[in-house]
Parts: sequence; structure tokens; C-alpha cells
Amino acid sequence: MNMITRIILMCAGCLAAAGPVAAHHSVAGQFDVRNQLTLNGVITDVDWINPHTYLHVDVENDDGTVSTWQIESAPTAMMRKAGLTSAMLMGDGSPVTIVAIPARDGTENLAWLLRIDYEAGHFYQFGAVD
Amino acid sequence: MSNITVTIARMAATLAGAACLAISAAAFAQDTADVPRTADGRPDLNGTWDNGAGIDFLRPQAIGASICLRGCEEQAPPASARPASPPPPPDRPVYRPEYVAMVKDLEERQVETDPVLRCFAPGVPRIGPPDKIVQQPHEVVFLYDDVSGSFFRIVPIDGRGHGANPEPSYLGDAIGHWDGDTLVVETVNFNGETWLTDDGSFHTPDLRVVERIWREGDTLHWQATAHDPAVLAEPWEKRPRTAFLTDLEIVEGAPCIERDIDHIVDGSHHDNPR
Repeated sequence: MNMITRIILMCAGCLAAAGPVAAHHSVAGQFDVRNQLTLNGVITDVDWINPHTYLHVDVENDDGTVSTWQIESAPTAMMRKAGLTSAMLMGDGSPVTIVAIPARDGTENLAWLLRIDYEAGHFYQFGAVD
Repeated sequence: MSNITVTIARMAATLAGAACLAISAAAFAQDTADVPRTADGRPDLNGTWDNGAGIDFLRPQAIGASICLRGCEEQAPPASARPASPPPPPDRPVYRPEYVAMVKDLEERQVETDPVLRCFAPGVPRIGPPDKIVQQPHEVVFLYDDVSGSFFRIVPIDGRGHGANPEPSYLGDAIGHWDGDTLVVETVNFNGETWLTDDGSFHTPDLRVVERIWREGDTLHWQATAHDPAVLAEPWEKRPRTAFLTDLEIVEGAPCIERDIDHIVDGSHHDNPR
């Protein structure tokens, strides 16, 4: 499994460019929309709940330990209307690459989903990726 | 919030004689000759209606096996897709001057004060157009697949008055009638625990909402007007919305489990364009 790769992009236009899909609350109030991070890991579970779905993603740290990230995303109805199911998000257990926005309050391993790339070559995107 | 609501309710009661500005039925009456009709000759509103669920301005794209909801604008949408539209500007009611500061305060403290952020029912008209309509000669049933949960409203259209549900509720007590080819739904008896918009737009339990629904082809038109003269400076005609007949059936709603509140570091919030 790969290690976490953080890509910190401090750009004035990121807030607008990130443009996450409509959320139940303010994304900017909870997540640092000026920053994006990239995670390489395995999706181990999907919480198919409202007002937001969550992916559980196991990511190997530099020291070899594994952290489980909570990756928050769109509500279930929005997922369904986009043609997405929990099984599609879960994938086949192969490694994925996730681009996300970290939590503003310092909570570790919590982020807002922008994009998932699966090993098979397809992706699901929910916001602009820098 | 409850004390405030009670206070406002009492004030509203003292103003019971205040004029309720009725919307001219004729002004909204829609007569569409080409709509499908039920056996009793009424426009057939039955069906599942894609109202955008707050994402009218998004147009998910399938790109091979990939799906993009946003950020892939360089991809051309399929010719059959309805075009995405820019998010509309905020659509807010106008309050009596003495309540403007209260609305502003609720808005600024939305994270603390908005019932929807805690999975309560959004109320009417905040809930928007129904996601599914089941129509019979004597009643119409609205079904909703909302982020706060699955909700229903039963709307008798057989001429009876209000009162089927004596308990004040989040979605109120509705009755309806046909005005030409337009279904008119009047809802009262709210519990006062909901907002009209995402922006602190509270109302009293004496809120009265009139919705007008009509069909053109496979498009459903929905317009709602909120009457609450104790706090609103004028009836609020909510921006009309449209929904489109869809084959994507609604399903049992996923549970609403709020996990965000403790992580929100400031009061910033968005205006849901619904």
C-alpha cells in the first residue's frame, strides 16, 4: 500500500475552483477548501446515510501503521441521481487514489471527497481537482 | 427557539384579523390541453418527478465507466441531457422590520439553529416539489426523498376542510382542490419548528402555504406562496420550480445521521438553491 501524499495548494482561487457539490451544510465551514490532499488506500466500507455519505479508507502511513480515513461526500439521493451506488463507490477492494479537502478543525483523517480513481481506470468526481 | 415561537404565535393570534393577501387564482390557473389525463378527466400528475434535489445546476456526466458531477466541464454533455443552469440567486421572504434582526441572527448562527442540520423535516415550502405523486380522485399523496428522510403528505381533494391531523406538525395539514388544470394545495397547522429557507427565515405556527402544481407534457411546475402576516411584510412567492418525469424510482430513504456539527468551525453556510 502506498503512503499518504499531501499536496498543499495555497491558491487564492482554490475556494471557487474546488466547488464541491451542494452539501447539507457549508463545505467551507468544515473543510479547508484552499487545500487538497491525495490519499492512496483501500475503501473498506461505505456509510450509505444522509445528509452525507462516508467512505472508510485505510491508508498506510509513513511508519507502516494504517489510519482509517472518513471521507465525506454527497447525500444518497444525489448519488443515485448521478448513477452511483454504494457498491460502485466501494469498488472491488483494489487500491484507490482519492483527492479530498482536509477538515478545518484539525480532526485527523477526516476530509471531503473530490475524486476517486480506481485501479480499473475509471473515476468518480465531485469537484474540481487542482 | 421554542419560546420565541410561542411568543410569535401569540402575536400572530392577536393579528388574526389581519388581511391575508390572497393570490388571485385566475392569475395562476393553467389550462393545458395536451396533458395526459386520469379517468376523471383531471391532469395526470402521477409519477416520479426529478426536481433536482437541490442540484438543478449540476448535470452529472457519464464518461465511459466514470461519472463526473462537477469539475469536468471540458466534457461535452450528451445531446439528450438537460442543460445545467447556474445556481440561482437567493430567494428570501421579506420580514416586518421588527423581525429583520432576528432573521439575521438566526442566519448567522445557522449551524446552531437550523433544524434541518439536525435531520428534522424541512417543512413547507422548504421541502420543495414532491419527488413522487400518487393521485386518486379523492386525494393526492406527495412522497419525498429528502436528505432529512422520507416524508409523505396526504392531500384530500374531496372538498373536506382542514383538520385531519389536529396535531401541529412539520409538514402541516393539507387540503387541495382543482383550479382548472392546476392542483391547488393549502397547508396550515404547522408546528413552527421549521424554516422557509436555509437563511434563518423562521415562521409562526400560523403559517399558511398555498402550492400550485400543474403539468405541461412531462414537466411538472410547482409554485408556493407563504402567508404569515404576523412576521412577513408581504406574502412570499417562492421562486417557481420545475421537475421532470423520470424512470428513476425513489427508494426507502437512507437514515439521516448528523456527524458534521461538531466539526464546523464557523457559521458560514451556503444557500441551498432549492
